[in-house]
Amino acid sequence: MQDRKDLTDKQINDTLTNSILRTPLHWYILTGFFATIVLLGFVAVGILANRGLGMTGMNRPVYWGFFITNFVFWIGISHAGVMLSAILRLAQAEWRRPATRAAEVLTVFALGTAAMMPIVHLGRMWRFYWVFPYDWARGIWPDIRSPLVWDPHALSTYLIGSSLFIFVALIPDFAVLRDKTSGMAHSIYGALSMGFRGTVRQWRLQAIAGIILSALLLPVFVSVHSIVSWDFGMAMAIPAWHTTIFAPYFVIGAVHSGVAGVITVLILLRWLFRWDDFIRREHIDALGRLLFVVANAWLFFFALEFMFGLYHQEGTEVVVRDLWLFQTPWNVIFLVFIFTGYIIPVPMWLFRSVRRSFPLMLFTTILVNIGMWLERFLLIIPSMGRKHSFTFVWGDFAPSPIELMIVTATFALVFMLMLLFAKVFPLIPIFDIKEGNVLRDEIQIGRRTVQAVIREE
Amino acid sequence: MSTNHHHEPNIFQLEPVEVTHDVIARTRSRGSRYWGIVGLLAALLVIGLVGLAMRMGSDTTKLGYYAATFSFLFTTTQTAPLVSVAFRMAKNHWRRPIARASELFAIVGLFNLLIFIPLMLALPSTEGRWTIWIQAASWSPHVFDTMMLVSLVLCGLGLLWAGAIPDFASLRDQGGNRIHRTLAMGWQGTVRQWKIQRGLLGFLGAFYFMGIIWTHYVISSDFSMSLVPGWVDSIYPTFHALSGLQAALATMLITAYVLRRWGGYKDYIPMETFWGMSKIFIATSLLWFYFWWSAFITYWYGRQVGEQHVLQLINFGPYIYAFIIAFLFCCVFAVLLLMWNPIRKNPGALAAIAVMVLVGLFFDRVRLFVSSWSVSDLRNQHQLDHVPGTVLPEAPDIMIIVGLIAGAILVYMLASRLIPVMSIWEMRELKLYQRSRMLVRKKVMVLGKPE
Repeated sequence: MQDRKDLTDKQINDTLTNSILRTPLHWYILTGFFATIVLLGFVAVGILANRGLGMTGMNRPVYWGFFITNFVFWIGISHAGVMLSAILRLAQAEWRRPATRAAEVLTVFALGTAAMMPIVHLGRMWRFYWVFPYDWARGIWPDIRSPLVWDPHALSTYLIGSSLFIFVALIPDFAVLRDKTSGMAHSIYGALSMGFRGTVRQWRLQAIAGIILSALLLPVFVSVHSIVSWDFGMAMAIPAWHTTIFAPYFVIGAVHSGVAGVITVLILLRWLFRWDDFIRREHIDALGRLLFVVANAWLFFFALEFMFGLYHQEGTEVVVRDLWLFQTPWNVIFLVFIFTGYIIPVPMWLFRSVRRSFPLMLFTTILVNIGMWLERFLLIIPSMGRKHSFTFVWGDFAPSPIELMIVTATFALVFMLMLLFAKVFPLIPIFDIKEGNVLRDEIQIGRRTVQAVIREE
Repeated sequence: MSTNHHHEPNIFQLEPVEVTHDVIARTRSRGSRYWGIVGLLAALLVIGLVGLAMRMGSDTTKLGYYAATFSFLFTTTQTAPLVSVAFRMAKNHWRRPIARASELFAIVGLFNLLIFIPLMLALPSTEGRWTIWIQAASWSPHVFDTMMLVSLVLCGLGLLWAGAIPDFASLRDQGGNRIHRTLAMGWQGTVRQWKIQRGLLGFLGAFYFMGIIWTHYVISSDFSMSLVPGWVDSIYPTFHALSGLQAALATMLITAYVLRRWGGYKDYIPMETFWGMSKIFIATSLLWFYFWWSAFITYWYGRQVGEQHVLQLINFGPYIYAFIIAFLFCCVFAVLLLMWNPIRKNPGALAAIAVMVLVGLFFDRVRLFVSSWSVSDLRNQHQLDHVPGTVLPEAPDIMIIVGLIAGAILVYMLASRLIPVMSIWEMRELKLYQRSRMLVRKKVMVLGKPE
């Protein structure tokens, strides 16, 4: 059963621009709440900049802690945008339409947030630009053989590409907003819409640009998390890191957490802006099925990573698996990770009633991201703590209040930016929804009416 | 035909009754060309079996080409049913014309199982070697791999049977033989029977999907990687499975082309089927590079002696020519050709590319399996100290390669006598879901998308 309602073009325009032209009270409350947390986060960053990395829980031999865990997590979330938008666009999946914009925007904000983490982790964060290749001030070049140098370049390429992708997709919607506003807003939206009038040629160009950018962004999307994985995979001395599967394992994990993140955001936006007619049960059902496939693929990669760690029975590798499974508190974290990341949500998605329930999908997708955050934590910390065979150089990690504050603030930052974006631009693509309406149909088979789509040759 | 310079939407034209009669007639009638090919393949199979007899009992380091051929056949034929399974799960209508042809490859699994037995017996025990079975008994790969392969073959046969029950009933009702009557299991097409059949297809399809992935895992690990000391490559089983998916698509593109060109199924297999497969085909070709690169860069960057030797062994050393052919055919040429829309809309060109990819895949298996069997007698070593030289194919190896590939095709062709290679009920169903209508000034296809 589909619960869609036929809407006219005017109704679509009015409903989807409503969040921009009128501001509900709860938008102010939520934005203010998240902004406060972000402010506290910036205070924590200020303290860290002033007092140094001694304010964190990191110490020999664990030099990568919450910040790098959070970096990998947000890079992962950022993968949902291209995954949903580009792949589903190329695959002509009709149900993608209401989800693409939110996914793309989440990509950009998650990437920006991720990029801040290594900078904060530097301690002397004002020197972050040293990673870029210029030599006139220092007379030296960064070592381009280091994955830590590959990272910022891959990340910035992805950020620029994703931003362009969103901009191109937004042009027709800018034109709608231009025509519905006046004064300064009219001028800004007019400039952004680049003279879009909806001529056949403009639509064709916009569609071709979207397809080309989709195809170009796909390899970038795969490369970004692969390169992040090589930050770990190229490190020879750290157990459980030097393994060939890390690149696709990180990518599929990113898609797992990213798609879950998009579902979470879509359900929250639906509730916040009353988008019941646009984000419907069949959409989260389809996303839930996709997530089921992705989650199982992720489990397969996780199993391979785990088993091949034991394959050659090297002491330090076995020690890390021993920590995960048998040593407290790691085993508790491992249990929480595997239950929240897979065991609880995935069997639930087998049931159609769960996939079509907004509260249950919200619950399960939040669980997935709790699990995936902990997965990154487990990949990083125990391996660093036991990278040597000798107990006198073993160490553990406990986050300091500063780290907890900064990590919490990153979540608030992404939510706040999403809300701010929704205030200025439509978070559901207006033109895409209208196109979907044109291309949808129904056919009668016997006594049953079946949903249908128009396929152009 | 065309009006207003627009093409008519490509809607399947045959009426349901015509489909049944036509497919059954084609299944039953086979000309002299068919029997000529069958005879030739049978002769080649005999030659292959002679070659196999000549090879058995010799030094295990000489069994590499046999192992590579088995892996090639397993990869191509037993992964082929996935094309039907995966796209049925995704509810793509374009897979209907090739669904049966894809599932029919499950029967070749029986042939693969037979040729697996001598290879399994020749596999060295795991004593003194690292394996995925870690501390388990030394016979673990032999027993568990056989169990997995048997399970996969049974699951595939079950899938083929479940997908063909309604067609067996059609054959039964059109004067079919006792086998058809038995396999139809009293099918009358009641609502309950359809529901059970759908459930069975979903269930067996999901199991086949999981089964093929894990069988790739054990075959690639036990019959290749674990024979080489120091080769610990966690992505290798996935690479093996991914190249299997690429090969499955290549196999199905060739099969679809042959059926369309020479099998009389031109009206059944539209361009959309080739177009749909070609998009996934290019994706798998790109992923071939990605998976290979992920393994290569990690080893190459590490600069560890053992890992460098493994890189030499399987990529840049004694089998460099096999590697170059595999790399070019499975990845570089495939991507460079498939990226062009006109090529992806040309069945002949797609079939030619698919042949090229299968040739590349064979050389890929040569570099991976011949190399690892050439060092299979090394034990109690944690890394490869030196890279052994190239093992070139000898006469028995050529006989095995040609004969076993011919045998697999022979089994498929014989099976197509018993089971229609075109799914009658799926094509009849397709007819129900297709309509045409005007959209502004253009006639377009409306495609039903049942939930």
